[in-house]
Amino acid sequence: MNFSKTLRRGTLAFAGASLLAIVTAQAAELTVWCWDPNFNVAIMKEAGDRYAKTHPDFKLNVVDFAKVDVEQKLQTGLASGVSDGMPDIVLIEDYGAQKYLQSFPGAFAPLSDKVDYSGFAPYKVQLATLDGKVYSMPFDSGVTGFYYRKDYIEAAGYKPADMQDLTWDKYIEIAKAVEAKTGHKMLALDPNDAGYVRIFMQSAGSWYFDKDGNPNILDNPGLKAALEVEQKILQAGIYKPAAGWADWVGAFTSGDVASVTTGVWITGTVKSGADQKGKWGVAPIPKLDVPGAVAASNLGGSSWYVLSGSKAKDEAIDFLNEIYAKDIDFYQKILVDRGAVGSLLAARTGTAYSSNDEFFGGEPIWQNFSDWLSKVPSVNYGVFTNEVDSAIAAHLPDLAKGTSVDDVLKAVDAQVKSQLQ
Amino acid sequence: MSSLASGPAQRRRFDINGWLFVAPALTLIAIFMIFPILQSFWMSFQQGRGMNMTFAGYGNLVKLWNDPLFIQALSNTFIFFLIQVPIMLTLALVMAAVLNNPAIRFRGLFRTAIFLPCVTSLVAYSVLFKSMFVTDGIVNSTLETIGLISDPIPWMTDPFWCRTMIIIAITWRWTGYNMIFYLAAMQNIDKSVYEAARIDGVPSIGRFAFLTVPMLKPVILFTTVTSTIGTLQLFDEVANITGGGSAGGAAGPSNSALTLSLYIYNLTFKFMPSFGYAALVSYVIVFLVAILAFIQFYLARESDR
Repeated sequence: MNFSKTLRRGTLAFAGASLLAIVTAQAAELTVWCWDPNFNVAIMKEAGDRYAKTHPDFKLNVVDFAKVDVEQKLQTGLASGVSDGMPDIVLIEDYGAQKYLQSFPGAFAPLSDKVDYSGFAPYKVQLATLDGKVYSMPFDSGVTGFYYRKDYIEAAGYKPADMQDLTWDKYIEIAKAVEAKTGHKMLALDPNDAGYVRIFMQSAGSWYFDKDGNPNILDNPGLKAALEVEQKILQAGIYKPAAGWADWVGAFTSGDVASVTTGVWITGTVKSGADQKGKWGVAPIPKLDVPGAVAASNLGGSSWYVLSGSKAKDEAIDFLNEIYAKDIDFYQKILVDRGAVGSLLAARTGTAYSSNDEFFGGEPIWQNFSDWLSKVPSVNYGVFTNEVDSAIAAHLPDLAKGTSVDDVLKAVDAQVKSQLQ
Repeated sequence: MSSLASGPAQRRRFDINGWLFVAPALTLIAIFMIFPILQSFWMSFQQGRGMNMTFAGYGNLVKLWNDPLFIQALSNTFIFFLIQVPIMLTLALVMAAVLNNPAIRFRGLFRTAIFLPCVTSLVAYSVLFKSMFVTDGIVNSTLETIGLISDPIPWMTDPFWCRTMIIIAITWRWTGYNMIFYLAAMQNIDKSVYEAARIDGVPSIGRFAFLTVPMLKPVILFTTVTSTIGTLQLFDEVANITGGGSAGGAAGPSNSALTLSLYIYNLTFKFMPSFGYAALVSYVIVFLVAILAFIQFYLARESDR
């Protein structure tokens, strides 16, 4: 590897000499990669503006990609071993944190010496810890909520009070009533994506892996119950098929479907439809019918990482530390504006967390999300979530066709076992 | 005498000027082609997570043998190759024959129109096809309007229809490209051959099947080999039409659009990166291309006699 690196460096240094000169001539401009213009992109820009007030030279370049592109571009860049063209700060979804840390040792800068982690939610710190060092600036939580259109639900003869303490069976019953009365499907679902399975599963305190990170597919009541619910939803015909993320988002922002069950980070996107003000409500997610299941789960959630190849590493760390680890007021603003439930515990005592949101008919939704967050079961995401997730997603059409959950689990187990050798 | 006996070829081999002229190209080829090929071959014997790779001997081969996803990718690739290549080449040949007929008006216009898809970017047209084939997209709504179907075709959610859509897409993109080769070759066929056949009373179908096609054999062989290689390396279309969505999503319903190249990509950039194993799967493609090309050359040579 070293020989090829030297070769590539040599060629690059020669070709890019003029480019490098330009980069060093400007006062360090930090480049950040993240993925949601209504959410983390906007929040990072807000953070940059705040930091620039005390550091006049500070410049931030927030680059907006699709999430899957950020991940794959990052992985390509890290594999090439070249730091040119890489960002200084990158946002990584929590499912993938350990994969990157373990696959590319030395690629990320440890922050444990600079940041006081005692103030953050312990699970967020834990999932970015490797060999006693913490590598992330914990950012948002993906605590889930059940966002629904009050007007559609009411047209079907239900009240917001009926949306509390649901089971998934009751949810499907409501979905059928909604479609019969309003003609709208209850939810949009990408049949090639297992996101809902992850939500169901974690609400029962299960994951694809056990506490030690070993695959746990066959003897896993939480996963089994999750697939059973997924099968019921697929077979009940209560969903609108979505092809990819944009299609999925469009289905509920356009008013085409009646609800969406996902992470709190979607709040900003839901609220982007200003004409739907007052029509939305948020309830706890329906519960799985297994012992230990709660009406709270998690989907996604992410943290900031500083690349150790960055030329402005110290500045990047100081920036993250000043804003994300200390600025309580910042967390109030991003909560109200963007629906970002941060993982800095002290931020939750701020005023915004007790405020009501007019978009959701004046409900104290932030207080609710805080309560649900404290109930989310903690699980080990391991390092192979993408592999198992792909295997599950590949079998969703079988579930829809009526293949039994046990058979699907056996097939997934066989595939995972051969892949994770 | 001896210096004369060694001849000009011998002298040319030591001609320093000649070597100097090709040296830059040779150096670049060595660095950017030969070295990576050797390096990836060495890599295919290594295993490990990301950059922590260790020598594993034939460990990757054992993994390949037991990998259901690899088998799935291999069979998908063969489905695409066995169905799509014949359809496309037949279409291209027929279109070329039609557009080679001087009696047809606006030939230039039609040729350009059919060739035009080839200049579009692979990603751009894939994204376009994806939006055309979604459940409530233009294809389904058109078919419903003209009354051909009553329920929308599940292009994105049914393995059969998903593969059909991919095949339609690739055929649209590449038929014109192959047609141009056939057109060029047809213009080189001596007109007197056709004249003689016409005088002998051979109908136009017969002239096409027994004159045009045999005369085009070298070009047909060439397009078959390049199309085979292209289909075995199928990536952009399946990645963009079906691979979107989340990082954990499947490649089409039931992985029905998972091709070998897409699998290599997933192994490297989506899953826990296993560069060694991915390198081995790419050598499988090399191996397949070599075998298939050999078979095609062999078949063509046999019937040449």
